[in-house]
Amino acid sequence: MISALLRKNISIWQLAAYTIACLTGLSILLISITFFADIRSVHEASGRTSDYITLSKPVTLLAALGHGKSDSNSFTGEEIDSLASQPWVARVGEFTSADFNISASVEFAGRGLSTALFFESLPDEFIDVDPDLWSFGSSSTEIPIMVPRDYLALYNFGFAASRGMPRLSEDLIKQIPLRIAMSGNGNFDIMPARIVGLSSRINTIAVPDSFMRAANDRYGDSRNDRRPTRLIVELSSPGDPAIARWIADNNLESSSGKSTSGQTVYIAGIASAVIGSIGMVIAVLSVLILLMSIFLLVQKSSDKIRNLTLLGYRRSQVASFYYRLIVVINGVVTVAATVICLGVSQLWTGALGDLGANGVSCAYAIIPAIVIMGSVTAVSIASCRKIINKTAR
Amino acid sequence: MNEPAQMSLSRISMQNVIPDVFSTEDVRESQIWLRDFTFVRGCHYLIEAASGSGKSSMCSFIYRNRSDYRGTIGFDRRDAKSLTSDEISRLRCRNISLLPQELRLFGELTAIDNVRLKNRLTSHCSDERIMAMFDRLGIGNLVDRPASRLSIGQMQRVALIRALCQPFDFILLDEPVSHLDERNNSIVASLVYETAEALGSSIIATSVGNRLLLPEDKVNHIRL
Repeated sequence: MISALLRKNISIWQLAAYTIACLTGLSILLISITFFADIRSVHEASGRTSDYITLSKPVTLLAALGHGKSDSNSFTGEEIDSLASQPWVARVGEFTSADFNISASVEFAGRGLSTALFFESLPDEFIDVDPDLWSFGSSSTEIPIMVPRDYLALYNFGFAASRGMPRLSEDLIKQIPLRIAMSGNGNFDIMPARIVGLSSRINTIAVPDSFMRAANDRYGDSRNDRRPTRLIVELSSPGDPAIARWIADNNLESSSGKSTSGQTVYIAGIASAVIGSIGMVIAVLSVLILLMSIFLLVQKSSDKIRNLTLLGYRRSQVASFYYRLIVVINGVVTVAATVICLGVSQLWTGALGDLGANGVSCAYAIIPAIVIMGSVTAVSIASCRKIINKTAR
Repeated sequence: MNEPAQMSLSRISMQNVIPDVFSTEDVRESQIWLRDFTFVRGCHYLIEAASGSGKSSMCSFIYRNRSDYRGTIGFDRRDAKSLTSDEISRLRCRNISLLPQELRLFGELTAIDNVRLKNRLTSHCSDERIMAMFDRLGIGNLVDRPASRLSIGQMQRVALIRALCQPFDFILLDEPVSHLDERNNSIVASLVYETAEALGSSIIATSVGNRLLLPEDKVNHIRL
């Protein structure tokens, strides 16, 4: 009976205005969150390769002719520290090059092949192969080697095709026994080796750091400059324009596999944030409409509220009508906005699904919807309670 | 007594009470303002005064919907101003009933629904009992008419029935018969008197002239 009495003062238009405004704002917000989550999941599905870049100093004409200072292409400790302190850098790893002669030979398809070779190493945490295969100790009998995936493609589609050699699969290439000859500093050794992995992240022929240190000590000239000439950088915010700026400012060259996907995510992130903020602003303004409508509603019903409390109704009994009203309207808005968001997201899930989106967008829409509308409801109920306590006597 | 609203209330004491807007000059003749006066459960009081002497204020102070007074109103030993809003609600359902001068009916509800709105809270009267009261006060044919379409005299009787739909230790009637003729006055008076006597409760009725016709030997006449 209280509800019937208080319902008469409801202004449908005020509440409808709130519902429409809040629904619009919340839908826009949820759609932008979902869109960003989907774009991100595509990015993550495409591998983390773009989270890394390799930096080097450009080879100048003078250096190429041998007139430059011998260390002009290597990084000093200060340069590395300055790089590591950039906000977009997660980790920096140094490439160590081999300071000795290397040649590799292989008995393959009845033919012996031999080639001069180079090795580089970098800290183990940057290597994307099974760590069990990537260990080298004093008791190891075989050197694990990693080659860029591009080299295999180069061989299969370039070299093998033109020379009538068989093409190799990734599994097959890992079975081929290699013999590595190393010489320098008056020492000469031959060791067996095996390709344990192909990397799309690291563009070099890599061996474990521990092997490289031991080998450089044994075959290398300790007087030589061993400062790194290349650095690998793990990026904490791929696509950040500050990265390109910093690289240009410091006159460096970068190579990165798929930085465009990082950039896409970055731009999509900015776009989502802008659109999401607009949605947020609309939603916040709509909450003001709600608070205003409740305030007006309570004002209009103030005589009734006072008379009900004079009859002996508790304030909470009277207020519960308004609480129910708020909860019902906000519940409807939450459900409707979630449905709209899921409906609209169908427009792109097909396209993104093909790119590897993992379809987690549902949770990304529902959880913020519940959190946002939960707090809106709590705030509205709190202010409603305040107004009613002020009105009732 | 910590919770007067929980059990019966036996005394309402008024110690040095005066509305904030009154000066000492205004209340020189009063037997209540700025005096030490106690309403005792079981006794009946007819409070007479000219308009503007604070009758409705006194009812509101006791009913706890206004607090703009100095002095102390005590419910048994508890200071009225110390009651919480929930305790006040309980008090209004079990200990003190009020028939306000302005009646405070809900115009959009029917006469009977106005009464039921109160009775739903207290479950004090059966539907038959409510109908019997309507009939006795001569408005049995008006139960389904919206309160806004009743005459003031009819509204006064509906509001009275509503005030009786609860247990009470004191019933405050603020000019209960100001719009009733003598015949209806007697009917109202006897209904209120019987109900109060049955509960062992007090009637506190105010008037500016047309006073509630309670048995003369049972009432205390008080000048406000």
